[in-house]
Amino acid sequence: MNITDQRICLWLVPGFGAVLAFAFLLFPGFFPPLSPAMSADEVARFYRDNVGPLRASMIVFNFCEVMFIPFFMVIVVQMQRMKNPSRAFAYSYLSAAASGATMFALADIAWLVAAFRPERSPQLIMLLNDLAWMAFITPVGFIIAQNFCLALAVYMDAQPKPVFPRWVGHFNIATALLMAPAAFALVHLNGPLAWDGILSFWVRIGTYVLYVAVMFLVVRSAINRQALEQRVAA
Amino acid sequence: MSSALEAHPGAASASEAVPTVKNRKLDQWICWWSLPIFYNLFGLIFVYLGKLMPPPRPGLTTDEIVAFIQKNAASMQAAWVLLTLSLGFASLSSGLIIVQMKRMTTSPVLAYAYMAALAVAALPGCLLCTTMFSLAAFRPDRDREIIALLYDLGLLSFVGSLGCFVTQYMVFAIAIFLDKRGIFPKWLGYMSIWGAVTELVATPIWIFRSGPYAWNGLISFWLGTLIFVVWEFCLIVSLFRAIKQQPLDEPGNHA
Repeated sequence: MNITDQRICLWLVPGFGAVLAFAFLLFPGFFPPLSPAMSADEVARFYRDNVGPLRASMIVFNFCEVMFIPFFMVIVVQMQRMKNPSRAFAYSYLSAAASGATMFALADIAWLVAAFRPERSPQLIMLLNDLAWMAFITPVGFIIAQNFCLALAVYMDAQPKPVFPRWVGHFNIATALLMAPAAFALVHLNGPLAWDGILSFWVRIGTYVLYVAVMFLVVRSAINRQALEQRVAA
Repeated sequence: MSSALEAHPGAASASEAVPTVKNRKLDQWICWWSLPIFYNLFGLIFVYLGKLMPPPRPGLTTDEIVAFIQKNAASMQAAWVLLTLSLGFASLSSGLIIVQMKRMTTSPVLAYAYMAALAVAALPGCLLCTTMFSLAAFRPDRDREIIALLYDLGLLSFVGSLGCFVTQYMVFAIAIFLDKRGIFPKWLGYMSIWGAVTELVATPIWIFRSGPYAWNGLISFWLGTLIFVVWEFCLIVSLFRAIKQQPLDEPGNHA
């Protein structure tokens, strides 16, 4: 089997990861994150005053937001190499990854529509802003499902040299649990669970970044091992 | 991917022993016919009924937007009904492309990425647009500012959902270039790169309200749409040839 395509999809992660990190730093509402307790007029003023960097950041996100999907699909292909009873977890992982990306695309559209006409009624700007933050922070269920599927597949990988080491299963469960509290951002205006709170924002995003970085290294060594095995077999 | 074929050895031999349909490519031909049928319907929905292609101007005033929605409310609702009934059938073309991509010498990773990228595209890139317009047309007497917001949401999401399509074009091009069996011609790979470029020239629609880079502009809309239509036509022709040339006894037809 060809490994080149997996390598290409793998190396999209550092490439587009750097681009997305740049867009994240550029966004004027992340350092610190906008508070959900702001009034409609304050939110509208924020969009009027920061329209340039806000658009630049979110256009970059719009263009590159699906570029991690090929990497998640490498994980699907690696899951298919596992000695599981069936490939059910691999296909479930695929499906959940697509749904998660859809929610981020929705958040990005809401931010950009708010910035498109910042002179709109402040109530509507606030509605779009709420929609963007909710769609960005709260739909953690998809990545949690991805991680649980991957963890179960790792635990059930019945071969002497498993595709991923066992700790990758534990790591996936731990990161899923760390991102779970963000689901409560929909019901809190203040505190650690609000969308600008330590749990819903910093822990959730920090965990995601850590997750992608660690999985990049794990998948890279799995692909290298696969290449080695094929060379030995040939 | 060889392991995909090895994993289900029973599937291929069992269906060879008991062929269920006479035409061994019947499923692929059904999927293939969905393409010309769907894109004709798509034209009816977006051009004739929805009045969204070519798109109305971004520079309309709130009053003009409300008048536009009120004038076209009935046909927009018809567009919604037709699209919500038919958009799911766009999946048939993805299914066919996945089958052909899995015949390539590459691993299925690019086929899966193609499938996932288009699964993303269905909502923000297509259905959301008519959802917003049908919401506006459902109660045209709604607050005018809200109608204007639905109008922006509909058109911006329709023309401005870029990432899903860029990824789709990119993985398709990579797959064609890496494939040693030549399932699709290499020029289709180069055309797919042009497809990705059309998404790049659509990025300014999030900023400009008039001119060539607005959502109805010469470059962002017309050039992008022209290249998309040509690409889609070439894809349909290439798929036709790929199915025709596929040997009937090819293993992996069931992967």
